[in-house]
Amino acid sequence: MNAAFLKKSLRLLAELGVLLALYLLGGLLAGWLDWPIPGGVIGMALLLMVFATGWVKPATLQLGAGLLMAEMLLFFIPALMSLLDYGTLLRDEGWRILLVIGVSTLLVMLVTAFTVEWVCRWSMRHDA
Amino acid sequence: MTLEPMSLFWLALTVLAYLGSRWLYRRTGRYLLSPLILAPVVLLAVAVPLHTAYAEYARNTHWLMAVLGPVTVAFAVPIWQQRALLARHWPALGLGMLFGSAASIGSSWALAHALSLDSAVSLSLLPRSITTPFAMPLAQDLGGVPELTAVFVMFTGVLGAMFGGVLLKYLPLRTPLARGALFGVGAHGAGVSRAHEVGGEEGSVAGLVMVLTGLLNLFAAPLLSALL
Repeated sequence: MNAAFLKKSLRLLAELGVLLALYLLGGLLAGWLDWPIPGGVIGMALLLMVFATGWVKPATLQLGAGLLMAEMLLFFIPALMSLLDYGTLLRDEGWRILLVIGVSTLLVMLVTAFTVEWVCRWSMRHDA
Repeated sequence: MTLEPMSLFWLALTVLAYLGSRWLYRRTGRYLLSPLILAPVVLLAVAVPLHTAYAEYARNTHWLMAVLGPVTVAFAVPIWQQRALLARHWPALGLGMLFGSAASIGSSWALAHALSLDSAVSLSLLPRSITTPFAMPLAQDLGGVPELTAVFVMFTGVLGAMFGGVLLKYLPLRTPLARGALFGVGAHGAGVSRAHEVGGEEGSVAGLVMVLTGLLNLFAAPLLSALL
């Protein structure tokens, strides 16, 4: 194991530690203030405030934040295994559920894309 | 604390299935081999014949899900990096997210009722178009089942990434903003990776919009609960 690798690993662990600490702090704050907001969201707001003060640059946390976001699927696969308990439900309602998801997703994409496109075209016309 | 070999086995298998499918997907580029699809299929193929209950599977894997909390904190980085984009285009992106989310929740609710789905299923369907770290707590707030929501989020991502590519071919969208928002609001993380394949600006827009849509939905939860 060379020194550069060791240094990078320690750096990564430190960055992950900071993100974890902000998450836990967010959870504590939510508990104290009795806010119905997840700890992660409060932690994110705290981090944005820290960025806004300019003390810490986002690049400082790039390694840890990048890893968490890149491997997000791993953290979400366990929840998919709840299918083990919902086998009958999905056999009974599976096709109808897929139909809802498919139609609704198409609709969301159409509404979002055309809203953004129209507002952009409108503001381009009015800026010119 | 006693070590339970079987539940550690599930943790190891989950990580292996994830790393294996990620490797296969990167090598082949085939969507069916992506960790979003192949990993749960492999895990189910092992768990179903063994008659494993979800609680048993989750005993040592639940902490993987707990990492979604720090992931939420990490979202501050893309938001901060894309703040110039947001400052310039907030009316378009804001209205797109607002109408898109309303379309998502409204149509899910209406369709679920029209098809007379079970009420726990209907409630769990409502947050399905936002990214998992936001969708699961939102499902909890609305009285749905967070794990079921995660399953619906997965299907939304898979279908959305597929539909999005087709839609881009036929829709007259001239701005990268609209193309990115389509993926970010409609298909969260899976959509963001597709948007990056379309173009750099589309990818940045999709990533930003994905996180902000999650926040918007979460903050709209009390209003939504009052309506339901």
